[in-house]
Amino acid sequence: MSRSSLGASPEMDIDPISLALTQNRLDDICRQMGWVMARTARSPIFSDSHDFSCFITDQEGTLVSQADGIPIHTGGGGFTVAAIIRVFGEEITEGDVFVSSDPYAAGGNHLPDWVISRPIVVDNKLIGFTCNRAHQSDIGGGAAGTYNARATEIWHEGIRLPPLRLVEQGTMRQDLWRLLLLNSRTPDLMDGDLRAMLGSTRIGVERVAGLAREIGVKTTVKFIAAILDHGERRLRSALRTLPAGHYESIEYTHTDCFEEVDIAIRAAVTIDKGHATVDFTGSDRQMRGFKNSSLVNTHSAVYLAITSYFEADLPRNGGAFRAIDVIAPLGTVVNPRPPAPLSMCTATIAHEIGHSVWKAMAVADAERACAGWGKSIHGITAGGTGTSAPWVMYHWNTLSGSGAVKGRDGFNQFGHIGTLGGITMHNIENYEQRYPVQFMRQEFRRDSAGSGKFRGGTGIDYEVVINEKAEYSFRGEGLIHPSGYGTNGGTIGEPGQMTLTFDDGTHIEAPQYGVETYAPLQMRALSPGGGGWGNPFDRDVEHVLRDTRDGIVSPEAAEAVYGVALSADLRQINLDKTMKLRDQGTTADT
Amino acid sequence: MPTPAHGDTALAAPWRIGVDVGGTFTDMVLADASGRIQTFKVPSVPADPSEGVVRVLQAAADTCQLSLKSLLGDCNLFVHGSTVATNTMLEGKGATVGLITTRGFRDSLEIRRGFRENQWDHRKPFPPVLVPRYLRLPVGGRIDRNGDEIEPFTSEDLETAIREFRIESVESIAVALINSFLNPAHEQACMEILRNIWDGDPDLISLSSEIMPIMGEYERTSTTVINAYLAPRVVPYLKELNTRLAANGLARPFLLVQSNGGMTSVERIATRPVNLLLSGPAAGVGALHAYRAASMTDNLISMEIGGTSCDVMLMSEGKVPVHDELMVAEYHAASPAVNIHTIGAGGGTIAGVDDGGMLFVGPRGAGAIPGPACYGLGGSEPTVTDAQLILGRLREGPYADGSISLNLKLAEIAVERGVADHLNLSIEDAAAGILRVVEQHLLLAVQRISIERGHDPRDFTLVPAGGAGPMHGAPVGRALGCRRVYIPRHSGVFCALGMLYTDVRHDITRVFLSTLDDTEPRDIEAGFLQLEADAHEILAEEGFTGTAVHVARELDLSYSGQQWVVRVALDANGGQGSAEIRKRFEQEYDRLYGHTQPDGVIEISNQRVVGTGLLPELTVGASEHAITEPVPLETRSVYVSPEIGWQDIPVFAGDALRPGHMLDGPLLVEERTTTVLVESGNRLQVDDADNLILELQVNEA
Repeated sequence: MSRSSLGASPEMDIDPISLALTQNRLDDICRQMGWVMARTARSPIFSDSHDFSCFITDQEGTLVSQADGIPIHTGGGGFTVAAIIRVFGEEITEGDVFVSSDPYAAGGNHLPDWVISRPIVVDNKLIGFTCNRAHQSDIGGGAAGTYNARATEIWHEGIRLPPLRLVEQGTMRQDLWRLLLLNSRTPDLMDGDLRAMLGSTRIGVERVAGLAREIGVKTTVKFIAAILDHGERRLRSALRTLPAGHYESIEYTHTDCFEEVDIAIRAAVTIDKGHATVDFTGSDRQMRGFKNSSLVNTHSAVYLAITSYFEADLPRNGGAFRAIDVIAPLGTVVNPRPPAPLSMCTATIAHEIGHSVWKAMAVADAERACAGWGKSIHGITAGGTGTSAPWVMYHWNTLSGSGAVKGRDGFNQFGHIGTLGGITMHNIENYEQRYPVQFMRQEFRRDSAGSGKFRGGTGIDYEVVINEKAEYSFRGEGLIHPSGYGTNGGTIGEPGQMTLTFDDGTHIEAPQYGVETYAPLQMRALSPGGGGWGNPFDRDVEHVLRDTRDGIVSPEAAEAVYGVALSADLRQINLDKTMKLRDQGTTADT
Repeated sequence: MPTPAHGDTALAAPWRIGVDVGGTFTDMVLADASGRIQTFKVPSVPADPSEGVVRVLQAAADTCQLSLKSLLGDCNLFVHGSTVATNTMLEGKGATVGLITTRGFRDSLEIRRGFRENQWDHRKPFPPVLVPRYLRLPVGGRIDRNGDEIEPFTSEDLETAIREFRIESVESIAVALINSFLNPAHEQACMEILRNIWDGDPDLISLSSEIMPIMGEYERTSTTVINAYLAPRVVPYLKELNTRLAANGLARPFLLVQSNGGMTSVERIATRPVNLLLSGPAAGVGALHAYRAASMTDNLISMEIGGTSCDVMLMSEGKVPVHDELMVAEYHAASPAVNIHTIGAGGGTIAGVDDGGMLFVGPRGAGAIPGPACYGLGGSEPTVTDAQLILGRLREGPYADGSISLNLKLAEIAVERGVADHLNLSIEDAAAGILRVVEQHLLLAVQRISIERGHDPRDFTLVPAGGAGPMHGAPVGRALGCRRVYIPRHSGVFCALGMLYTDVRHDITRVFLSTLDDTEPRDIEAGFLQLEADAHEILAEEGFTGTAVHVARELDLSYSGQQWVVRVALDANGGQGSAEIRKRFEQEYDRLYGHTQPDGVIEISNQRVVGTGLLPELTVGASEHAITEPVPLETRSVYVSPEIGWQDIPVFAGDALRPGHMLDGPLLVEERTTTVLVESGNRLQVDDADNLILELQVNEA
C-alpha cells in the first residue's frame, strides 16, 4: 500500500503514526464523555440502561467518533448537527450550547432523545461539535414516560425542540431552561440529566480543543478528514467480502397501533464494488400510530444492520457511512411526512427495518446470517400523580430472546435489535425499593425459542404486582404474531403474551398498544423468543440434553423438534432412538 | 535463575518472606532483621502452584546456604499471594455448585442483567454460566422490600433440591434469596437445615447474606456462586500448602493477600475465597506504601507492565481506593477490591495495520509462546519488544536474566512486514510509531484512573514496575506532566515486595437505605458501632487488639436516583451530623464530577467499616553509598525520543549504580530483568533505598 492511499487525496501528507494517535485520542474523549454522563445523570434510564450516546462530529456535522450508547443511536449524530448549522450557520460562536430533538425540524431520531451539542472553537475556527444524545424521562405529551401509544400526531408525543441556543456565549438562557423543565412531568430528573449532558459535552470540548491546540487547528481538521477516509475504506473492504448482487426482502408489522393491519417494509439491498444501496421503495405509506421511522432512525437502523454483519471493531462514523446509500421515499413508514407520530421508532420499527436488511443480506451470505430477534413488548407503568411523587417504571425485564448466529445460540431475554443487547436490566431488588411493586417471577420461558442447530434465545416469564393505581403505556409489538424468524433451516420463536389480573380475580389480555389507567393489578408477561440458525436436527445432542435438563426445551420438543430422545429420568440421551428419529427426520425432509 | 540482589553475607534473623505465584513466574522477596532485601524468581508450576512456592523457597535456602527448615524456622511473617483463584475462573475449573434461589428467580445468575461489554461484538457468546439451570433450584418463601416475611420459608423444597444435588455430585452450595440483604432469616434457615441434611463440609455452604450483603440480586448471587465455585479448589490447596510449610518449620501460619490489598488468615479466607480474586496484583498497594517514604510523596501511580498487560493503580494521600465491582474472566464479583485498571499493553503486545491502513497496537498479545518475533520462538508478528530492540533500547543476545536470546534481524523482518511496508515507513520509524501508540495506551490508562477520578496526574509520582515498565516510565511520565518517576530496583518482583508491607484488612458492609435528611444520627451511629464490633472481633481472632487495630468509617452516598455511589470517609468516633456529611459528600462529588446539585436529595445506601490489623513496620537498611563515579558498560546508538531521534548514549549496568549517584540522561540502565530508559532532560539519582529516581524537566507553559 502506498502512502497516498492513506490520505483523502494524494497531496494530503499525513503522518500515519500521528493519525493513529489522533484517532485513539478522539475515541478516548468520547468514552470520557460517556463516563461523566453515566455517573452524573439522575434518571435510572441512564445509570441502568445506558440509553444515551456521546459523539464528536466535524465542523459540518459528519460523525467522527462515537462511544457508549445503544446501536440504534449510531447514525443519528450527523443529522442533528447539520440541522443546527442550517439554522444558526455563521452565528455559532464559542461558548454556545444547543439543544434539539425534533425529527422533522432538527435532525432528531425520535422526540424523547434530546441532543446537547457544543461547538468546538479554537482560534476562532469551528472545528466540530461534541454532543450527547439522551432519552429524557418525560417530555410532556399525552402519556407519562415519553411513549404515548395513542398518538396520531407528533404534538401528542411531547414538546418539540427545533435547534435551540440553550447557552449563549457561556450564559445559560434561564427562561428557556424553565420552559423546558415546565414541559416535563419529572422536572427534577430532567434538571439533573440535562446538567449531566452539559457536563459531558463540556469535558469533550475541553479535550478536543486541547488536542487542536497541541497539534494545530489545520492538522486537526486534516486528521479528522483522514479518520473519515479510513472509516470508509474499512467498511468498503468489508462489503467487498459479500457477493455483488441485488437482494430483496420483506418484513411486516401487523398493527398500526389502533387496528390489525399488515404494514410492509420492502428492502432491496444492492451490493457492488464495496458499496451498498438500501432501497425502501415499495414500502407502505406512513401509518396512523407512532411507529413511523424518522429518516434519521431509518439510516441508523440500516447502518446497524449492515455493520453488525461484520467485525465488531469496524469504525461506525460518517466516513464509513459514505459506503452506504439509503433510499427512503417520502411519505412511507421509513420517512414519513409531518405530523406523523414516531416516538416508538427506535424500537419498532427500527427492528423491522433491521430485519428487512438482515434478511436481504442473508440471501447474499447465508453463513453469516442473523436469525430474527423477538420483537419487544416492554411497556411502561407510571404512577404517583396526586398523592406521592411521580414515578415512571420501564418493564425492561420483559426483553425478548435474540436470534442465533452460526456458532452461538440466541441470547435469552435480551432486547430488540436496536440495542444489540446494549440495555442493562435492573435488579428487581432495586426496583422494589424504587417503585411500589413486588416481583413474583422472572424466569426463562420454556419452548419459546426458535429451534435450530443454534437455537434462538428464550423469552422471559415475568410477573409483577403493581400496588398502586397507575397508567400503563403498552407497546406490545411482539405479542400475537411470532417475530424472531429462523434462518438456514432454523425456526421462528414464539410470540409474546401479556395478561393483567385485578384484585377481584378477573383478568384481561393486555392491549397490544394503548394507554390505560388501572387499579392495582398483577401483570404477567411472556416475552417472545428469538429465531434459530440451521437445521435443529443438526444440533449437538449434548446441547439438546442440557436444554432439556435445564427446562429450556421440553422433552416432547426435544423429540419432535430436535429428534433427540432422552431417558425417562431425563439425565441421559437414548442414543438408539435418537439415531432413528434423526434418520427418519432427514428422510422425511428429502 | 535465582540470584540474590547484592552480596552474600549471612541473613539476620528473624525475617519476613513474601511469595507471589503468578502465571509465569513465582517471585519471592525476603527482608531480614537488618532490613536487607533479597529477591528470587523461579518458573511457576501451573499444575501445582504450591510446588512453585516450595521451589522458590528451596532456591532461596540454597542461595543463602540454609536448610529449608532454617529458612522457614526463622521466618516470623510469611505472606502469600496467588493467582490460584483467578486461574480457576479463567480456566473454568471450579467446583460443581448447586444454587438455592427464591422460587420464580432461578435465572438471575444467567440473565446477568443483560450486560454486554461490547454489544457490537454480538456474535460472541457469554462465558458459560457457573451453575447450570438444572442445579439452580428454587425454595418457597419471600422477604419483601421492607425486610418483612410475607411468605414462610418452605424446607421441603430444600430437601428436594438436596436430593438432586446428591445425584449430581454437587461439591459446594450457594444460597442467594431475594431481599436477603434486608433480612437473612430464610438464608439462615437454609443453613440450619443444610448442616443436617447435606453431607458436605458446612464451610462449603455460601450464604449471600454473609458473603456480600448488598442490594442487587444479580451481583450478590454471582458473588456467592463464585465463592462456592472457588471454595473446593482453592481452600484445600491453601490448607495443604500451610501444612506443608508447617512441616518444613514455618511456625506461624502464612497470611494471604486479598483483593482489597490487605491480608487475612487462611482460616478466615476458607469461607470467603472470592476475596482472593486479585490476590497478587493487589499487593501492589503494599509496594506503593513501601515507596511512600523513599519517594517523599503519598501520591503515587503504579504502572506494572509485563508481557501482555499493564496494571495501573493509584494511591492518593496514602490510600488506594477500594470498590466492590470486580470483574474476572467476564464474571462479576462484588468483592472488596483495590481499583486496578488493566489494559492489553505489554512487551508482547502485537502491532499491525488494519485493512483501512491504520496502525494499531494491541490489545492482542503474543503471549509467552511464541512471544515477540525477536525471541526466535516462532513469532512473526511485530511486538513492542521488537520495536524496543530495533531502536537500540534493548541489546541483542541474552535477555531476561539469560532465559531468552534476542535476535535483531527477526525483529526487523517482523516490523517491516507487519507495519513499515504497509505505511511506507522505514523500519526505525515504524518501530518508533509502535512505541508512541503503545505509550499512548499507557497514558490513557493512567489518565483514566486519575483524571476521570478527579486527580491531576501532575501531582503524582509515576512508579513503573514489571519487566517492561521501566522502559516506558520516562516517556509516559513526561506526557502526563509528572515531575518524578520512581523506579524500584526490585520492579520485577513488585507485588512480592509489596506483601512485606501489607497490613491485615477487612472490609465490612451493611445496607442502610435512607435519605440523609430523614435519618437520625443515632441510627447511623448504631450501625457503625455494630460493624466496628464485628471488625474488632475478626481482627482479635487473627491476633490484633489494642493499638494494633485501626478502624475507619465510610458511607456510600448518591443523589436521589443515581445508581453510582460516592464513598465518603467519616471520622472514626462519629459525631458528624447530616450537614457535615452533606458537605463531605459535596466536596468529593465536586472533585469527581466538577459540579454538585445544591438542593439535591442525598441517599444513603451502605455503611462500611474498614478494620486494619497493623503489622510492625519493616525497617529497610540503608545501602552503602557510592564512593566512585559509575563507568558505563558501553556507548550505544539508541533512538532516544521522537524529538531527538538517534543518539550515542551511555549504557550502565544496574549494579554499577549505587546510592548517591546522580547522572543526566539520555542513558540506559540495564538491570537483570529489565532496562531503564532515562530520557534527555531527566536526571537520574539513586536514593538511600537503592531505587532509581528520575527528575523530569517540566515545561511550566
